[in-house]
Amino acid sequence: MITYQHLIDSFNKAPFIIQFAFIAVIIMVIAIVSLIISLKVIRSFLKIKDKEILKYKNEYEPLLIEYLYSGNENEELTETQQSIIAKIKEGIKGASRRKSVITILTNLMNEVSGEMSDSIRTLYHETGLIDYAIIRLKSKRWHITSKAIVELRRFKIQETHDLVSEFINHSKVEVRKETQIYLVHLFKFEGLSFLDDLKTPLSEWHQLLLLESLLNLENQQIGNIKPWLNSSNTSVVLFALKLTKIYNQFEMKHELIELRMHPDKEVRRSAIHVLNQLFGYEFEETPKPKNRQLKSEGQIVIV
Amino acid sequence: MDTSTVKIILEIFHYLFFTCSLLAVLSYIILSIISAKETIQYVKKNSFVNYKHILSSPISPSITIIAPAYNESLNVVENVRSLLSNHYPNYNVIIVNDGSSDDSLEKLIEAYDLVHMDYVVDEKIETQPFRKGVFKSNNPAFEKLIVVDKENGGKADALNMGLNISESKYVACIDVDCLLLEDALQKMIKPFLEATDYKVIAAGGVIRIANSCVIKGGKLIEVNLPKNLLVQAQILEYLRAFLLGRMAWSRLNGLLVISGAFGIFDKNIAIEVGGYDTNTVGEDMEIIVRMRRHMEELDKRYKVAYIPDPLCWTEAPDNYKTLISQRNRWTRGTIETLRKHRKIAFNKNYGGFGLISYPYWLIFERLAPIIEVTGLIYFGFLIAFGLVHWEYAILFIAIAYLFSVLFSIVALFSEELTYNQYKKRGAGYKLILLCLIEPLILHPVVLYAAVRGNIDYYFNKKKKWGTMQRKGMNTAETN
Repeated sequence: MITYQHLIDSFNKAPFIIQFAFIAVIIMVIAIVSLIISLKVIRSFLKIKDKEILKYKNEYEPLLIEYLYSGNENEELTETQQSIIAKIKEGIKGASRRKSVITILTNLMNEVSGEMSDSIRTLYHETGLIDYAIIRLKSKRWHITSKAIVELRRFKIQETHDLVSEFINHSKVEVRKETQIYLVHLFKFEGLSFLDDLKTPLSEWHQLLLLESLLNLENQQIGNIKPWLNSSNTSVVLFALKLTKIYNQFEMKHELIELRMHPDKEVRRSAIHVLNQLFGYEFEETPKPKNRQLKSEGQIVIV
Repeated sequence: MDTSTVKIILEIFHYLFFTCSLLAVLSYIILSIISAKETIQYVKKNSFVNYKHILSSPISPSITIIAPAYNESLNVVENVRSLLSNHYPNYNVIIVNDGSSDDSLEKLIEAYDLVHMDYVVDEKIETQPFRKGVFKSNNPAFEKLIVVDKENGGKADALNMGLNISESKYVACIDVDCLLLEDALQKMIKPFLEATDYKVIAAGGVIRIANSCVIKGGKLIEVNLPKNLLVQAQILEYLRAFLLGRMAWSRLNGLLVISGAFGIFDKNIAIEVGGYDTNTVGEDMEIIVRMRRHMEELDKRYKVAYIPDPLCWTEAPDNYKTLISQRNRWTRGTIETLRKHRKIAFNKNYGGFGLISYPYWLIFERLAPIIEVTGLIYFGFLIAFGLVHWEYAILFIAIAYLFSVLFSIVALFSEELTYNQYKKRGAGYKLILLCLIEPLILHPVVLYAAVRGNIDYYFNKKKKWGTMQRKGMNTAETN
């Protein structure tokens, strides 16, 4: 007690700067010790988590594969399938198990097609995983919403169209982007209708993802892209030019010729490139720019 | 001088050092907070991205990997294999053999069935001429590979040759001895493609230390913590620099350097500014500063992006001599770049670049070692004359040490919560222990190297790159 009193007296008598430095040392020591303990806890937690994931994987993967292979030719669920669904439904009440099941199902979904893919979708519905995704759609955290949209897209859930469409003008670009990809992925070229009145720019990354979704569709019948070639949104025009080229839209010749006079250099360059790709040497003549304000650099591009 | 004058001078010194220390501590705290925000944002943003989409896309932009090689005979074949195994769909690899005196070229010719081809270079940037010329492979499996043999001109000159030859929109400049993960290009190209209302002129990645890691067939199989204490200390230093420092500067769009070991550039802008400067040993920093300056002068919106994923692994020096030589060169590179572009300093015409980034580098990178050494000399002087108030001194030394430990632990924390690369049992304890001893084993060496760098810059102008002794990474047998 006497020793403590002596320390306290010394501290009180010390100049302000010493008092300040002493407090700083104490705070830092506490911070270091707390962080070291937290690090230990985090490392242990991550290890437990890894083991848990492995355990759930071993538990559910055979079950899910059994589910896929125990179907019959009728579209009804067999008894084995129903019992598996009941087991999974009970298990996925815990978040970790649910995540593991979704991961396994996503991997399976990437590997199978046709009836098996439909069967996974049925499981997704019957186990109630879809309801959990819908709850996450309504999350206030944008990345949770985005993940839910991605999940619904991966499992090809069309019933949530109206719910997902609400995010088409979301303030976060990531959510908007995932919504648009969902629409294209599940509703094909009709899903591109958001381009009609898109005000925000489409990044090249985003265009790449949209094109990738389109190219993976079974039906490669393209809709009318003319309005997008005339869009006031430059990025939409550039995307439409890519569609024109990839889908050999010869009937867009007039629009392409017009686009050689577009005020944006990149659009002019792309239009000429598409014209050359689709019609060969036909478009090497020099058009007279409509816009007399074009700088020399732009005129060179047109030439 | 009377006693009162001496006292006033001493007081000025005290306040000067105190202010510098306080500013350094404050800047580190601010950078940590900013980096935490940026890391959370990055992890959230990329938690649902499927990079596989880009793999089959017909519109994925072309990238050329440019890797200069000088006397890399020991590992060059294995390293090129690693570069060729990237998953990106639209890329090629240019190895520039920069006048090597060993048998690097012969090994490459043999391993990859290379044949000489006639090639006319559009010399957009002046470089040293070809020696044996350009080689391509007969084997379709290596169709992405181009090997250029030229007269020695240094790393910058070799990179410029690569810029001249590349036909891609983007170039990834890397050290040939670096191990690039298979998805590295996919992740690094994303910021370029995401930008809409600004232009990304370059993107840098995290460099991780590969000593003691197991590599098989050009792929990273196992991450291990090396036994060598010096290398361990560098791991911690890299974590601090990349996960805290650069992450924060990336958010502020204030990155002045992209590691020469791995960075992607918009090729047109790199050529517009004249390519790499062959008259500096800090060409990686210099080109970024020049590109930024160029964009600022054109008044165009731009960004230097940064990807924190562990994508590039390299061998770190495992002995004091090589480490000192490396850090000496880094110091000279920093001095040369900051001096060459001194017009930017505190110049409001360059916005945040001139008013924040440049001054930060000037004070906390360029001048910090000088201030620290001056402080140590001054402290020695005070001890000699019995003028030290020990209660003050001990407390402030304790603060400096504890803050350094705290900053390292925060970096470790960030690593565990994000990429968690050192998962093996016992690695956590070792890393924590390292946080406690690193200020005593690495910092003095780095400080010494920085001082030597300053001395060499001013008094030994002939000194150039120095040597880096490669031992080769821990490559397992490929079956």
